[in-house]
Amino acid sequence: MNSDFVLTVCPFCGCGCQFYLQTMDNEIAGVVPCKTDEISEGKLCIKGRNAADFVNHPDRLKSPLVKRDGKFEPASWDEALDIVSKQLSQIKQIHGPDSVGVLSSAKCTNEENFLLMKFARAVIGTNNVDHCARLCHASTVLGLVKSFGSGAMTNSVPEVEGADCIFAIGTNTIEQHPLISSRVLRAKEKGAKLIVADPRRTPLVEFADVYLQHKPGTDVCLLNGIMNLILSRNLADKDFIAQQTEGFTELEKKVKEYPPERVCEITGVEQAALEKAARIYGEAERASILYAMGITQHTTGTDNVESCANLAMLTGNVGRESTGVNPLRGQNNVQGACDMGALPNVYSGYQSVTDRTARAKFEKAWGVKLPENVGLTVTEMPDAALNGSLKAMYIMGENPMLSDPDINHLKKALSSLDFMVVQDIFLSETAQFAHVILPACSFAEKEGTFTATDRRVQRVRKAIEPIGDSKPDWLIISELAKKMGGKGFDYKSAQDIMKEIAQLTPSYAGISYERLDDGEVLAWPCPSKGHRGTKFLHKDAFVRGKGKFFAIEYKEPAELPDKEYPFILTTGRLMFQFHTGTMTRRIPILERELPTGFVELNTEDAKKLSIAQGEKVKVKSRRGEIEMKAFVTDGILPGVVFIPFHFAECPANELTSSNLDPEAKIPEFKVCAVKVYKG
Amino acid sequence: MNGENGRKSVLVIGGGIAGIQASLDLANMGFKVYLVEKTPSIGGRMSQLDKTFPTNDCAMCILAPKMIEASQHPNIELLTYSEIEKVSGEVGNFKVKVKKKATYVDWDKCTGCGECSQMELTDTKEFEGEIWVDRIRIDEASCIQCGDCAQACVEENKEKQAMTNVAFERRSFTELPPDEREGREPEILPQRVALMDEGSRTDFWRQELSRCIKCFGCCDVCPVWIYDKTELEDPEWITPGEIPPAVPLFHIIRAYRVGDNCINCGMCEETCPMSIPLRTIHQLMRRQPPESIFEIIPGLDAEMKKKLVQAVRKQPKAEKKQPAAKRKGRK
Repeated sequence: MNSDFVLTVCPFCGCGCQFYLQTMDNEIAGVVPCKTDEISEGKLCIKGRNAADFVNHPDRLKSPLVKRDGKFEPASWDEALDIVSKQLSQIKQIHGPDSVGVLSSAKCTNEENFLLMKFARAVIGTNNVDHCARLCHASTVLGLVKSFGSGAMTNSVPEVEGADCIFAIGTNTIEQHPLISSRVLRAKEKGAKLIVADPRRTPLVEFADVYLQHKPGTDVCLLNGIMNLILSRNLADKDFIAQQTEGFTELEKKVKEYPPERVCEITGVEQAALEKAARIYGEAERASILYAMGITQHTTGTDNVESCANLAMLTGNVGRESTGVNPLRGQNNVQGACDMGALPNVYSGYQSVTDRTARAKFEKAWGVKLPENVGLTVTEMPDAALNGSLKAMYIMGENPMLSDPDINHLKKALSSLDFMVVQDIFLSETAQFAHVILPACSFAEKEGTFTATDRRVQRVRKAIEPIGDSKPDWLIISELAKKMGGKGFDYKSAQDIMKEIAQLTPSYAGISYERLDDGEVLAWPCPSKGHRGTKFLHKDAFVRGKGKFFAIEYKEPAELPDKEYPFILTTGRLMFQFHTGTMTRRIPILERELPTGFVELNTEDAKKLSIAQGEKVKVKSRRGEIEMKAFVTDGILPGVVFIPFHFAECPANELTSSNLDPEAKIPEFKVCAVKVYKG
Repeated sequence: MNGENGRKSVLVIGGGIAGIQASLDLANMGFKVYLVEKTPSIGGRMSQLDKTFPTNDCAMCILAPKMIEASQHPNIELLTYSEIEKVSGEVGNFKVKVKKKATYVDWDKCTGCGECSQMELTDTKEFEGEIWVDRIRIDEASCIQCGDCAQACVEENKEKQAMTNVAFERRSFTELPPDEREGREPEILPQRVALMDEGSRTDFWRQELSRCIKCFGCCDVCPVWIYDKTELEDPEWITPGEIPPAVPLFHIIRAYRVGDNCINCGMCEETCPMSIPLRTIHQLMRRQPPESIFEIIPGLDAEMKKKLVQAVRKQPKAEKKQPAAKRKGRK
């Protein structure tokens, strides 16, 4: 018998907790917390503690599947890869390389994302490569780049503990980032003040000093109102504004248009609470903003993010320890997938595809001509498929059939494709539409790195041999690339890919497996071998030079309630499930806690509609209709309903609208109009 | 170190059966013997055994006479609850520094009645065979300074009070009115909780326990947890999928499942992502009933109390748990 402990990284949220996988003769026996890990400190949430339970699930894909006459049949790797390479080459030849779309995955390692990005750009020859960051933090990546010059969390997770004011807006931190929330609560125990702004009464509200229950989609107005009060109370950091920022006068003018009376009328918060929040945030020595989907998933997502950045710069809370603007990334490697350039407009390290020098550098390294135009995003691909310009898709480890907005529309789009490949560990809802399915390895069966929300690059290590005939994603991509005539795909291990990443990506240049295996904690930017990583960004000066204030006007959400659809629907996640549930719904203890979805609605609304607790109701929008149980609570505003999007049997995203943020192309998951009625 | 009769004296380290026998043999040969033992009593492992191999003799029947002999032997001086700090010198002429730890008991006055330990514990049956541990040693980490032990000593032994001033001072501290306690804030949490009045104790626990995110980590890491953790939930009164789980019922049941088996290792507290002071709950529960820790009884209806009792008494089940789909979901 052979037993071992393998240190690896949790495959769920972006906290980046490390733990040991205990293995027993090539089987995973359990998860053991790692006490020396800086993030988790030997503590884990329920998902982390049961993270390995899906790895050996009988549903795992064990051999390649090829669809013949509408049925999936097992095939050999050679056969499956031959079909894929032949079909993709053919479509590329007939319709051009831009008729192929590639979706990368925030669940896969940095190496795999880099390789798929390289495959799309160098082998297929298209910039149509994107991943689910489009659906969560696209507005952050764009908004913070515009304001600060770098689109990532400014400070690190352990620093949250040292803040003396924490402003959590649009983040259900306790449920979604438990190990970050534990630091929030510890900061509070040390005397920090906590401000929570959320239309839903999330568990964090219990601990808040000030709770602002604003209406969904009124974030810009709320933040402008707070800035107005900070300015009128003379709490702004004038020195910081003068020395390190630009565009203040425009902001000041705009913010003056948001006196508290107007703000309270629009947002629905009480004036006393707003004033208290402004005072606490304005007076704090070290104030940290935490935000997540509540800010980003709007048609005004970029505006919201820039408003958060405005607030932080106004009070000089950037570039110091325990301050900053901290977007909490929802997936283990969504930060890394963005860093690796699995986005239609940038290469790894956010080097723009339209920039000649960057393109020349990659062309030289890869020895091919690279496309010049910006590619399609996740949210633009369905329309492109329907109008016939997109013919094939290659989807790695994503499940858009649950996660994308307006999935009825997406269903039509996917069925209209000529050819679709899915590379995944389970037969997901999306995989049903595929022509070829390639079985991949889970996090426990491969080597690589994940980048956590605070830019921390950590090693994922192989604990067991691949299940069945499955292969690590990087191996599948490089074999396919070689079959399609791609050059420079002769990698022997994930480490080889990391070497190439370090060569081509300035912010990852100093990161290597040797250093990570030595136990170094490296957060990018890490530009050289001797560099020790960057704990917090924008020290002394902003990455873009001067921080830019944007004067932002409040805009209403794209779809507001009306007579026919009187409720605002807001979607989100819950503690016991993760995203589309491909993994968590196969973990018995999590499934036991939360076996199915529900619609949360206010007690008053329930009374008006005579809906009882637990009764089956139907929720309908202009795009679809789903049925589920009602959960009646006082924790949500009247006129607002909440549905978690994890569940395939009642997919909230059948209802959501595909209205996009004009710049970031992020859909408005947080606001759409619905009606609720008894079936 | 010279013995009284001019002969060299001997120091034996460890008061187990081997140490006792060695000391007796040496003492009978005329050497002066110092027997150093870390715990408050000699006896060691053998005192915890039932039978001994290979003769199946009763362990205590062999050990007890030797323990008594050692304690009464004129040539043996027992240094219990003591540890070696430093050894210097060479063979034939060692110099040893022994640290004797405070027991808070005046041994000239103690009659060995054991009342002090009876007071410290709510249920002495569970601790039989171990009573001596609590009688003479006050574990400072777990002492909640209730002062009951000193009080018991006064009542039982009016003429000679064996519990020393330290223990008395500790007790009187808890009886001081709050304004006089200023500047003398006790340091450890169990003490603080014991000193709270009813209302603020309820608030304290509500605040602490409402942080729970139900990760089941406290059950996962607990070395004495033998139950299926999902049994902590009964859809009728602790709803699955709800955070925080019912306060404080969820934690009371969990703590009572561990109950007296708790070895105070502190792993539960250490692994709790929300840093709930779980160890304190266990420390308090060894000495106090739940109503005085959580103040829950007034709000507990009869039906729920019955459930609570049932759940605590329930033995771990061998059969598989119900399939998830049949369970009642979030209401």
